[in-house]
Amino acid sequence: MSELAIRRGVAPALAIEGLSYSYPRRPIQAEGGAAGRALSDVSLEVAPGEFVLLAGRSASGKSTLLKAACGLVPHFHGGEIEGEVRVAGIDALETGPGELAAAVGYLAQDPETQVVSTTVAAEIELPLEMRGDEPSARARAVEEVALALAIPHLLDRAVDTLSGGELQRVALAAALVTRPRLILLDEPTSQLDPVAGDELIWLLRRLNEEWGVAVLLAEHRLERCLAAADRVVAMEAAAVGFDGRPGDFLQWSRENDAALSTPAARLFSLADIAPLPVGVRDARQTLQRTGIAHPPQQASRRMRDPHPSAPVLDAKNLWVELGETEETRDVLRGIDLQVRPGERVALMGRNGAGKSTLLRTAAGLHEPVAGKLSVGSIALLTQNPSDYLVRERVGDELPGDEGMAALRVVGLEHAVDADPRDLSGGERQRLAITIALAGRVEGEQLPAVVALDEPTRGMDRARKEDLVALIGTLADSVAFMDKEATKATPGAAVVVATHDVEFASAFAERVILLGEGVVIADGPMEEILSGGWYFATEVARVLDLPGIVTPEQGAAVLKESLG
Amino acid sequence: MRSPFAYRPRRGPLQDASPGAAVAYLGAIVVVAFLYLNPLVLLAAGAAATLAGLLAGARAAVRAALRMGLGLALLVAVVNALVTSRGETVVARLGHWPLLGRVDVTLEALVAGASYGLIAAATIIAFAVYSACVDPDRVLRALRPLAGRSALTATLVSRLVPVAAADAARLRDAAALRGPGAAAVGKAPLARRLLAGSLDRAVDIAATLELRGYSLDAPRARNRRSRSRHDRRFYAVAALVLVTAVAGKLLGADDFQAYPTVAVGFGPTTIAVAAVVTLSGLAPWRRRAGRRLVSADGTKAARYGGKSSRRRMKEGVARV
Repeated sequence: MSELAIRRGVAPALAIEGLSYSYPRRPIQAEGGAAGRALSDVSLEVAPGEFVLLAGRSASGKSTLLKAACGLVPHFHGGEIEGEVRVAGIDALETGPGELAAAVGYLAQDPETQVVSTTVAAEIELPLEMRGDEPSARARAVEEVALALAIPHLLDRAVDTLSGGELQRVALAAALVTRPRLILLDEPTSQLDPVAGDELIWLLRRLNEEWGVAVLLAEHRLERCLAAADRVVAMEAAAVGFDGRPGDFLQWSRENDAALSTPAARLFSLADIAPLPVGVRDARQTLQRTGIAHPPQQASRRMRDPHPSAPVLDAKNLWVELGETEETRDVLRGIDLQVRPGERVALMGRNGAGKSTLLRTAAGLHEPVAGKLSVGSIALLTQNPSDYLVRERVGDELPGDEGMAALRVVGLEHAVDADPRDLSGGERQRLAITIALAGRVEGEQLPAVVALDEPTRGMDRARKEDLVALIGTLADSVAFMDKEATKATPGAAVVVATHDVEFASAFAERVILLGEGVVIADGPMEEILSGGWYFATEVARVLDLPGIVTPEQGAAVLKESLG
Repeated sequence: MRSPFAYRPRRGPLQDASPGAAVAYLGAIVVVAFLYLNPLVLLAAGAAATLAGLLAGARAAVRAALRMGLGLALLVAVVNALVTSRGETVVARLGHWPLLGRVDVTLEALVAGASYGLIAAATIIAFAVYSACVDPDRVLRALRPLAGRSALTATLVSRLVPVAAADAARLRDAAALRGPGAAAVGKAPLARRLLAGSLDRAVDIAATLELRGYSLDAPRARNRRSRSRHDRRFYAVAALVLVTAVAGKLLGADDFQAYPTVAVGFGPTTIAVAAVVTLSGLAPWRRRAGRRLVSADGTKAARYGGKSSRRRMKEGVARV
């Protein structure tokens, strides 16, 4: 197909027919999928200029489908494939990913593996250079895509100095610089704060509307992007389970898989209001039509009384400096903070606000340059649980009878002989938490603080609910590691750094909001997550009532309003 | 935090040189290290790599490599002394050890081990200087004609060290955060995990490189910085070092014997080879550019350097 034909969009941006695929060595079998198949008889068409949201649980085949659409499957990963994949009319099974790059751009979940150059300008320029474009054409294309993505100020920066959000934009710029007709994105907001996540979705919508780029976006946090989508495709057990309009998808998810529902849709479901809303604006309009534009205000819920015991984490005027001699910067700037036993705290804020640094300082990985920090014993799970798994057998990570007991508590006794790398994402995380806690949950060795840094990256809602339950167990802990224990021990303070406001509303009783290294808000979860725009749940944005953040709380108010 | 081995853009002859010239230069030092066992020449190779790194401004990389390289050299010397019972000069009798049997530490085994350790140390330092001073982007482009069909090969060559360094820092943190009841993290499992993880991540980066069209048979685009005026210098020094090393080897400069008694040759050829190799470390030296000076009244501008500029300063010329 000619370049002109691709540009004019005469063929569908993506046409998949009867696609089945198996990886050469499939570590995690798709749940309920045909034996070993990552994709099973998938048929799908994306029209030029269409914005399609790809929904589905973890391991349902979303990422594999995106990799097939850009040629990485099967050309890079190998495996067995049947069916047909055409991108802008080009046969993707015959043509390699390099040749397809003119028609399709791909952005994977982890931005750190999406950059191959040392500077931003070189990274964006690379695809054009590989195509043999002249320097002047390259310079113009780089400038234009940088302007479109609002990153011209980053062009001279080294990529290893960028934040996650900036890196994601640079990777997107490199994927768009060849002006493809289709862009594929695999959970691009999973590492972004709510502000950067929303910005990215609306940026995609703008590119979609103004440049006519077709978008196929895989996401778990559907509330972020459902309103921007023209269509939703839901993957279920390696096959297409649903393909239709966003409103119909919500109805389908209500009947078939509630884990794929959005908070606003759950709010309406619980309050028996129809139709289910695809976004905040839609929800507000429906409420207006129903005559409950201004639900009655309820008294703000208060955080339970402060725990009487002494704080287990106490920071006074804490300053932490990071970087090397010539590039040092203050990441924490005079933090004052106290956390008491049994508290469940969500630590929130934009990328680079200092959340991880605070947790790492508490765990002793950084030294404060000023101020005072006293912490009881602390178990910290860093952002990548796989870093804790160094042995080739699960049982070797936690040896002895105590190790076996710990594996039993987290439901991993069946995997004692498995290689940790073959566990699913959720299992790896449970194992890593157990490793961090091992030996610290006995009598007086119970960790005073359990800290989790961004634990929900790439998790679907079902797995987040499991994590919420685990956090509850730790905070209210009688004995996490030893179910037989009869002696009650005080719960650990659980501090979780997260960008996920819905997850924070599910587990936290207190939210601390950091900005540029200082505490800018600290209070009860219901108060903090209902009092803003970005750091607010979808329900809070729909109802705009102080203290109402979860679908259950909102539904109670709406039911009262409806009489 | 950035790894000390991570590439940092700086101005300097080694950084400006094309990847081929830089690899030829540092590679020549490594070749010397592998060609010789004489400790004097090996020390010269290590000194040359250290000097090159310091002159190129890669102090952090050199410091880290020295720590790592000398630590490894010490380890090799100790292990060799424990497992080798050859040599006539016994410095310690350690009795019977399980698996090893009777262990007598000899001076000869220590010296032989140190010699092997120096080879490793010189190689590590040269590699650290390469990693910190040679732009991986240019390496990636330079490799394209050689490994155009294999993005993975190109990624491994240009990215494995920075990726592994970043992973190592994360793994160290995670190891420090393990609970006391978890299995201790031994060096071997950690190294295995590091290698496996780095390879996995290198594969992901290679996939990105494929998507950027690295394996396309497109005509090579014109690059703004393909060659440098310093290339000739590095190629010449590399050739000089290699010729000297090979000639010296043939003339008996590698005069070293560990067993049964240590005999290290310090003949004129050995000293000459060591001197040339050491001096090759000065190749990245940058001649101080003359400062641009204008007269105090700002009307005249000229380029001066050295003593004359100082004289002119005294005569009322201001530096800008």
